[in-house]
Amino acid sequence: MVEVLQQIINGIAIGGVYVLIALGLTTVFGILGIAHFAHGSVSMFGGYLTFFFVTSWGIPLLLAILIALLVGLVLGVLIELLAYRPVRDANHINAFIVALGLTMMVEGINLELFGHEQVVIPTDFSRVFNIGGVTIPELRLYVILAAALLIAAMTVFVERTKTGQAIRAVAENRDAAILMGVNVKTIPLVVFAISTALGVCAGVMVGSLFAIAPGIGEGLVVKGFAVLILGGLGSIPGAVVGGLVLGITEALAAGFISSAYKDVIAFVVMISVLLFRPQGLMGKA
Amino acid sequence: MARNRTFILYWLALVGFVLLPQLISVKYYIHLCVLALIWVIAAQGQNLIQGYTGYVSIVQAGFMGIGAYSTALMGMHFDLPVWLTIILAPFVTAFFALLTGYPSLRVKGHYFAIVTLAFNMVIFIVLMNFHDLTQGEAGITGIPKPGGKDALFNWRDRETYYYFVLIIAALMTGLAALIVRSRIGQILVAIRQNEDLVGAVGIAAWKYKLFAFVTSAMFAGLAGAIYAHYQSFINPEIFGIAQSLDAILAVIIGGSGTIAGPIIGAFFVVFLPEYLRFADSFRLILYGLVLVLATIFMPRGIAGIARDLMEKRRGRT
Amino acid sequence: MRLTALTAAMVMTAGAAWAEEKTLDIGVSDALTGGGAVYGLPQTNAVKLAAKEINASGGIKVGEDTYMLNVIAYDDKANPTEASNAVRKLIDRDGVKYILGFCCSGATGAVASFIEYEDAVMLVGNAAERSITTREIPNLTRTRPPADYTGAAAGTFVAEKGHKRVAVLGALDVGFYASYVDAFEKELEKAGGEIVSREAFGLKDRDMSPQLTKIRGQEPDAILVVGYVEPAAFIYRQAVELGIDVPRYGFTSGSEDQFTRVATSEQMEGVWDLRPTELTLLSASENGKAYHANYTEEFGIAPSPSSPYSYDQTYALKDAIEAAGTVEDTEAVAEALREIAVPDEVVMQYLPVDDKMFDENGQAYTSNGAFQWQGGNWVFVQDLPSDAAAYSAFLSTLDD
Repeated sequence: MVEVLQQIINGIAIGGVYVLIALGLTTVFGILGIAHFAHGSVSMFGGYLTFFFVTSWGIPLLLAILIALLVGLVLGVLIELLAYRPVRDANHINAFIVALGLTMMVEGINLELFGHEQVVIPTDFSRVFNIGGVTIPELRLYVILAAALLIAAMTVFVERTKTGQAIRAVAENRDAAILMGVNVKTIPLVVFAISTALGVCAGVMVGSLFAIAPGIGEGLVVKGFAVLILGGLGSIPGAVVGGLVLGITEALAAGFISSAYKDVIAFVVMISVLLFRPQGLMGKA
Repeated sequence: MARNRTFILYWLALVGFVLLPQLISVKYYIHLCVLALIWVIAAQGQNLIQGYTGYVSIVQAGFMGIGAYSTALMGMHFDLPVWLTIILAPFVTAFFALLTGYPSLRVKGHYFAIVTLAFNMVIFIVLMNFHDLTQGEAGITGIPKPGGKDALFNWRDRETYYYFVLIIAALMTGLAALIVRSRIGQILVAIRQNEDLVGAVGIAAWKYKLFAFVTSAMFAGLAGAIYAHYQSFINPEIFGIAQSLDAILAVIIGGSGTIAGPIIGAFFVVFLPEYLRFADSFRLILYGLVLVLATIFMPRGIAGIARDLMEKRRGRT
Repeated sequence: MRLTALTAAMVMTAGAAWAEEKTLDIGVSDALTGGGAVYGLPQTNAVKLAAKEINASGGIKVGEDTYMLNVIAYDDKANPTEASNAVRKLIDRDGVKYILGFCCSGATGAVASFIEYEDAVMLVGNAAERSITTREIPNLTRTRPPADYTGAAAGTFVAEKGHKRVAVLGALDVGFYASYVDAFEKELEKAGGEIVSREAFGLKDRDMSPQLTKIRGQEPDAILVVGYVEPAAFIYRQAVELGIDVPRYGFTSGSEDQFTRVATSEQMEGVWDLRPTELTLLSASENGKAYHANYTEEFGIAPSPSSPYSYDQTYALKDAIEAAGTVEDTEAVAEALREIAVPDEVVMQYLPVDDKMFDENGQAYTSNGAFQWQGGNWVFVQDLPSDAAAYSAFLSTLDD
C-alpha cells in the first residue's frame, strides 16, 4: 500500500509538469488550432534563462523567474506575430511545419547560448518529509503546490476576466465572437503570451526539480500532446486530468509492470482512450 | 500538349540521373545521392498520405525501421536470399501499418498526426528494448549486400548501388504516379478537399484512407530495406521522430501533392544540412529558419514555384 | 594538398630545404552536438591537443620526411547515418586515411561495418560496445576496453564486499551497459549472490523515483547504477530522498562537477564508481596531470575523464606510422598498430597483452579501478581485479 501511495506521489510531481506544458498547448490549440510543437523548446528556454540569471548574475530565484516570465511573454508575442500569423489562413499543415522549424531554431539557440551539458537551477530546498513511510522531498512538494496555484490562476483568468471571456468566445465560435465585437487580432497575442508564460513556469520546474538539457523540451512537448489527446484537445480541465493520469500511469507502469516500456504503456493508454472516447476524457462529445 | 511536355521533362530528368555518377568525381557525393534516392522512395510514400490525402503522418521513419529490421532479421534467421527479403519487407511493414492505421484513421487532423507520432515512439522504444530480437542500440551489423562476392556486379561499389536504387526509385515514382492518376487517386484528393462530401456520396472514405496509409508505409518499408542493405548497419537511432519529420519536410519543400515534389524534396533534405555545415553550430538554427521562411513564402514548394514559372513563360510566348 | 604545397613553398623560400616538411591530415568523427557531445567534444579537443603537441615536438618522422598533423573534425551527432556520412566524406573528399574519435557505440558500429573495405585506419575511443572488436577488423583498433571486461571486475569486487542481493538500475536499452550488468551478474552469482531486479531508464529520463520506489520495496543489500552521467546523478540523489540507505555502486564515469550540479556532496558521499581507471586528478599519473593542465589551458575547461582515450589514439597512431615507415600504406600502418608497445606519452594506464598495446583483436586494456566519493571528490581506492590476457583470449573466441 505504501508503495502504491509512493508511486502516486511520484506520478503527481511529473504529472504537474505535464499539466503545465499541456495547458499552454491546449489554449493555443483550442483557440488558434495550431499544434505549437516548439512549445517545449521555448519552455526550456525560459528555464535556461532563469538558470542563467541565478547562477551568472546572482539574482534571487523568485526575481529571476519573474524576469524570465516577462521575457517569455514577449517571446510568445513575437512568435505569434512573426511565425504563425503569416500562415494563419493557409492549410493547417503549414502552421505545423512552421512549428517544426521553430523547434529546430529554438533548440539551436538553446544549444548555442547554454551549451550541451545539462543544467540544474540551484535551490536551497533539500529537506525530505516522511509521512508513514511515504517520502516526499520538499522541492517536489513546492513544485506540486506551484502547479496547482497556476492551474487555479489560469482557471480564474479564463472564467472571470473580460479577456478570458473573449478568449473563450473565440474558441467556441470565432464568427460570433467577431460579431460581438471581440478584437480577434489581439486575442492570438494574448493567448501566445499566456501560453509561453505557463511554459516558462514549467521550464523552471523541470530545471529545478530535474534538469534542462538538449532534447528534453522536445520529449516534453510529445508528452504534452499525449495529455491533450487523453484529456481532450482545447479543454483546460482535460489538460489537468490528462496530465495527472499520464504522470501517475507512467509511475505505476514503471513500478509494477516494466520500467523499459513505461512510455509504451502510457501511449497504449492514450490510444485506447482515443478508440473508446475519441473526444478525450473531458472533451465534449 | 502539356502532358507531353511533362513526360519529356521526366525523361530528361531520368537521363540526367543516369549520367549523374559519370559527372561526379568525388565518390562521397554519390553516397549522398544514394541516400537521397532512398529518401525519394520514402517521400513518395509520405506524399500519398500527406500530400494527396491530406493526413500528416509522423511515422514514416518508424515504418522504414520496420522494413529495415524485417529484411535484416529474415535474412539472418531464415537464411532467405537478399532479393526476397527486400521484396517481403514492405509486406511486413504493411501488416503493422494495417494494425496501426485502423485505430488512428478514426481521428482527423492533429489527432492523427499526434497518434502516428506516438506510434513512431513506440516503434523506437521497442527497437531499443527488444534486445533479443533487435540487438537494441548496438544495432545489427554485417547486413549482406544484394549480390555475393562473385556476383555479376560489384555491390560494394557505390555506383552499382546507385543504379540499383535509381531503378527502384524510378519504378516507385511511376507507381505513385499511376496511383494518383487512377480513380483511387481522385478519391484521395477528394478526401483531402472535403471528406464529409466524399462520405455523403456513398463512398467509404475510410477504406481509401487506409489504402493510402498502408501503401505509404509499404514505400517506407521498401526504402528502409534498401537502406539496410546499402549501409550494412542499422540501429534504432535513424528511425526516430526526427527522421519522420524529414520525410514531411521533403514533401512540403519539394511540393506536396505533386509527383516531382518528393524527388526534389528528398535531395533537398539530404543535401541542405550538408551545405549548412559551413555554419557548423548555427546550422540547426539556419535549417529551422529556412523551413519557416520556405513555408511562409513558398507554401507550394519548389515544384509549385517551378510550375508557376513555366506557365508564366508559356503565357508569354 | 594545398596546405602541403604552401608549407613546401615556405620552406623553399626560407632556404631551408634539407628535409621536406609535409602535412598529414587526420580525421575525427565524433559527437560535437547532441546528447553524445558530453563525450565527443572532449575527445575531439584531446586529438587536437595531441596533434599540437606532436607538431611542436617535431612532427611525425617517416624516413627523410617530417609530417605535421592537421586535424579535420566532423560532427557525427552520435548518429549512425551521420557518422557514415562524416567518414565517407573524410575518406572520399578530404583524402584522409586515419580517422580517430568515436565516442558512441551506435555511430561507431555503423562505421565499423564498412571500414574494412576502405583504404583507411580507424581508431576507436570511448565507444564501449563489445562487438566493435569481436570481428577482428584488421584496420580498426580501440583504446577503451569493452564494458563487460570492466563489469566482470566490478562483480567480483561487489561480491567480495559480501553483498548477496543487488538491485540494478541502468540504461539497459544500451547494449554495452547491459553487457556490463551481465558480466557483473555472472561474477556475483559465482559468489552466491543474485541480482534481484533490473530496472531501466532512458537517456532523457530525469525522474527515476518510480524505479527506485520499486527497488526500495525489494530491500536489496546494495544497488548498482549503470548509465550515462547526467541521468545517473539524479538516481543517486533520488535514492537518498527516498530513504534508501544501502551501499550504492555505479558505472558512470562522470567528473565531480557533473555530479554536484545535481546532487549535494552529502547525497553523493560513499558512492562507488567501478570503471576503467580513467583520468581523475587524485589518481592521475605524471602524464595525466600534465594532460589535465594543458587541456585546461588550451580549452578553458577541465577535460572529461574519458577524453584521454582519443589523446592516446593520436600517440599510438604516431608510433605506428613511424614504425611502419609510411603514411601512404594503410595496411602497413594498421599492422604496425597491433605491434607497437604502449607509447610513453599516453595518459590512461594500459595493461599490455604480450607487451603490445593492442591485442590481435585490435583491443587495448586499461586497468579497472574502484573510486569512491569522499568529501566532494572521487578518490581512487584500489585496483579492481582485472585479467587483460584472459579477457583478450575470451574476446578472440567471439565473432559476430
